[in-house]
Amino acid sequence: MLALINRILDWFKSLFWKEEMELTLVGLQYSGKTTFVNVIASGNFNEDMIPTVGFNMRKITKGNVTIKVWDIGGQPRFRSMWERYCRGVNAIVYMVDAADPDKIEASRNELHNLLDKPQLAGIPVLVLGNKRDLPKAYNEDKLIDRMNLSAILDREICCYIISCKEKHNIDITLQWLIAHSKSGVR
Amino acid sequence: MSRDFHWLPNIPNIRKMNAFKRDKKEDEDGSNQFQNLEKTTVLQEARTFNDTPVNPRKCAHILTKILYLLNQGEQLGTTEATETFFAMTKLFQSRDVVLRRLVYLGIKELSSIAEDVIIVTSSLTKDMTGKEDLYRAAAIRALCTITDGAMLAAIERYMKQAIVDRSAAVSSAALVSSLHLTTVSGDVARRWANEAQEALNSDNVMVQYHALGVLYQARKSDKHAVIKLVAKLMRSSPKSSYAACMLIRMACKLVEEVDEGSEFLEFIESCIRHKSEMVVYEAAHALVNLGRSGTREIASAVSVLQLFSGSPKPTLRFAAVRTLNKVAMSHPAAVIACNLDLENLITDSNRSIATLAITTLLKTGAESSVDRLMKQIATFVSEISDEFKVVVVQAIRALCQKFPRKHAVLMNFLAAMLRDEGGLEYKAAIVDTIIAVMEGNVEAKEAGLAHLCEFIEDCEHTSLAVRILHLLGQEGPTSKQPSRYIRFIYNRVILESASVRAAAVTALAHFAAACPALLPNILVLLSRCQLDFDDEVRDRATYYCTILQQNADPAILPLVQPPQLSIPSLERALRNYVRSPMDEEFDISQIPPAQAIEEPAQEVLATVKPQQPRLTREENFMEKLLQVPELSAIIHDSILFKSSTVFELTESETEYNVKCIKHCFSDYLILQFDCLNTLSDQFLEDVRVTVDNQDIYTIVCEVPCVRLPYNELGSTYTVLKFPEDIQSTIITLPTTLRFIAHDCDPSTGIPDAEQGYGDEYTLEDLEITVRDQVRGTGSRNVDFSSSWENAATRGFVTTEQIFGLGANVTTLEEAIQSLVMFLGLEPVERSDRIKSGARQHTLLLTGVFRGGKEVLARAKLVLTNHVTMQFTVRSQDLEVAELMISSVG
Repeated sequence: MLALINRILDWFKSLFWKEEMELTLVGLQYSGKTTFVNVIASGNFNEDMIPTVGFNMRKITKGNVTIKVWDIGGQPRFRSMWERYCRGVNAIVYMVDAADPDKIEASRNELHNLLDKPQLAGIPVLVLGNKRDLPKAYNEDKLIDRMNLSAILDREICCYIISCKEKHNIDITLQWLIAHSKSGVR
Repeated sequence: MSRDFHWLPNIPNIRKMNAFKRDKKEDEDGSNQFQNLEKTTVLQEARTFNDTPVNPRKCAHILTKILYLLNQGEQLGTTEATETFFAMTKLFQSRDVVLRRLVYLGIKELSSIAEDVIIVTSSLTKDMTGKEDLYRAAAIRALCTITDGAMLAAIERYMKQAIVDRSAAVSSAALVSSLHLTTVSGDVARRWANEAQEALNSDNVMVQYHALGVLYQARKSDKHAVIKLVAKLMRSSPKSSYAACMLIRMACKLVEEVDEGSEFLEFIESCIRHKSEMVVYEAAHALVNLGRSGTREIASAVSVLQLFSGSPKPTLRFAAVRTLNKVAMSHPAAVIACNLDLENLITDSNRSIATLAITTLLKTGAESSVDRLMKQIATFVSEISDEFKVVVVQAIRALCQKFPRKHAVLMNFLAAMLRDEGGLEYKAAIVDTIIAVMEGNVEAKEAGLAHLCEFIEDCEHTSLAVRILHLLGQEGPTSKQPSRYIRFIYNRVILESASVRAAAVTALAHFAAACPALLPNILVLLSRCQLDFDDEVRDRATYYCTILQQNADPAILPLVQPPQLSIPSLERALRNYVRSPMDEEFDISQIPPAQAIEEPAQEVLATVKPQQPRLTREENFMEKLLQVPELSAIIHDSILFKSSTVFELTESETEYNVKCIKHCFSDYLILQFDCLNTLSDQFLEDVRVTVDNQDIYTIVCEVPCVRLPYNELGSTYTVLKFPEDIQSTIITLPTTLRFIAHDCDPSTGIPDAEQGYGDEYTLEDLEITVRDQVRGTGSRNVDFSSSWENAATRGFVTTEQIFGLGANVTTLEEAIQSLVMFLGLEPVERSDRIKSGARQHTLLLTGVFRGGKEVLARAKLVLTNHVTMQFTVRSQDLEVAELMISSVG
């Protein structure tokens, strides 16, 4: 009986205070996208992951905000499909492996290609430099420079350096996301 | 009831229930809400899928509309399909069970049209491994439709797990999907055989059945492995009746293929005592269809079917009587025992069963019962479906062959059926039967033609009208009163569509050519046809008028029925001729005839005839041969005269499998050897078949097969030049397969060592016969007697000899059959059919020997205790004529 009352209560609550946001998580393969979703959803870090073939759809509730995450595979054959899932979302999260200088250039090109799409104009972008825990990882300034983020002027853009493994900066990332739940372009 | 639902968390389901109720109400009104859907509107609506939050009920409805459209045959373009597909992927965010399952269906429908469908791989693998049982099996099925060769590795682990899953639905779905995946990658079944083996022990009847299917697929190409599988399961006998049925089918196949199949036959027989009716039926069905079963096996099967035909279950009765109907064709005597039971089924309330019972009785019954049974059918023939009407027609056809004297009753019945409503296939079956009756029975011809004439007066099927007009043109002129058909034919010219009019014009011309009395009148009719507004009709009328007006010239008249030559060959020959100095006249006899559809005499099932193939067998081979450069150099400007049937030079179970086809040209013989390496641990190179030419044939060249990996077909060619002396062309040549073998790893096919070793393998002897060098002329209506009489004036020589045929030939039919088989000549004027009970017969044969040498032959056969034959051959070439005579001896 108690459970039932709780359920009805939850339902009422959600009617009045519920906020939904939708975001798409893209980036090259092995940058830690699916890991990141797992970390913000359950707080579990699992190093042993398999590549995402296609996409994962996850719903995560943080307080009164429900975040829908489209986590899209990063292998070359999926990159042409990123755009389809970025249309009309509240924010695009772009994951970069901050500790892999060899792939930075490819990552930069893919990001700029994506943001050039007219359908995606104005959607806020959050660039996350993951794997800060590894030696030789870039810091914010270096990453902003290498990713040429200063060239993006037509939208809100933000960059954090995070570590899914050590749960570093995950909190400010979430704050940024929740803050953008209403300000989307829809 | 509905109050209880309020406590369930899954609210959309209730909505679904309501929607369902509403749908039902609409159904009762008789309107289909999906009836007038527009593709573009529905695809527009599909954009709703992108909205947040998802409205499951609305989306489910739209998705249903899309599925409905697709299943009505609506075609989507790639862009449309891709857009819809990606919009649909957004629905994965909804947890609505109904919607998700509709999405699976959508994925399956669009997987072959849309691009980038692999995007849902991860979502589907999640569903198939998840906790929601309602998703898992369906997700597996959807997953396999989007998986291509490259993605197979990514899902392999999940599939193997699913095959051994505890849930029967999941395991079955995975097993069936692996069978479907074999079209993507051939060895899937083999790679997952271990898991399938485990699933075979499942208690679930479906899982066991599907697992057996996968195991069979895995071993299909390896006969010994199949034998082992079947033998093992035969002993343990699967619990699942479905699996048992499949095992019976596998055993049947083995009985047909393997020499020592008695244990399998015993197994099938033992299944007749199985406790499941399905298995018993399958076993009985198998036994009666096996070529190898004897009277004893058939009798036991028939007694089971007899038992079933008295069953209270309509399905069992239907299955039994349908099978008995088939058996009645091959073993009428065995079915007679069931006649009493079949009589009871005539009044069965299920018309399909009644029809089959009657037609079976028609096949087994005595002549005296025909009238009674036909009356019985007439009472309900209008109530049964076309498919069963065809069965009735076929039974009548068989009856006509069996009781020629009854043709009047049967013909009247057929004519009545022809007047009834019915589809093309049904009408075609009747027309075929009438034609067959006419061919088999001269007395029936006039009545048959009259019925057909009446039919085309009101025939909506163009193809049938054209066929009948053609038949009238062929048969009408030789009837007692040809003029009576003219009116029927000319009516078509006035009333019908262009293709029928064209056929009618041709038929008229045939009458005019064959009956000089009708010529002036028909010329008037034809000249009217020259004013037709259709090109083809006008062209034909003009053509025939021109020919018929020159009727004084005997060489022109046969052009009313020009020979049916193979057009591509004619084109090639003419092109070569134009390139040559053109000193000699163009020899049209070199051109092979267009391929006639070969109809086995016993086949009574042919109804609507297949379209005539554009290329003949020879032309197909020629194109293939010309692609080999070495061969092309020799044969590029000659014509493939004849290709023999395929025959095996090895036993079917040997390590290397070699089949041979002999392609005969006017001076060369190309031997095509199709080789198959069945050893998975060997890789062959430089494969060739050496032919011991006995110093008679000259070997012009050998084209080896460079690489022959496991289980792939490769061809090697040997070109022989015929010897000058025609007599010595008939020969038996020993052959040997030679190759360089590399041992290799069976799983990868990569050779273990660089260096291979040469090896050889003795094949069976190759025979070159008269038949290889002779073919028919393909013109069905050759006037044999005039060609025979005129032969002397055209410089033909005649040889003649009398033979007493051997003791193994005891009937005239056998004699005719073996003579035609052996010589490769074509019987004309239907002289290969003999009147039943005749003691003597004259067989007329024509044909062409390679090099375009015409051959005419006449065999007068007399049956006493054995068959005596006076065999006369006329040919342009004495040597050819002598070859014919000597090879009969």
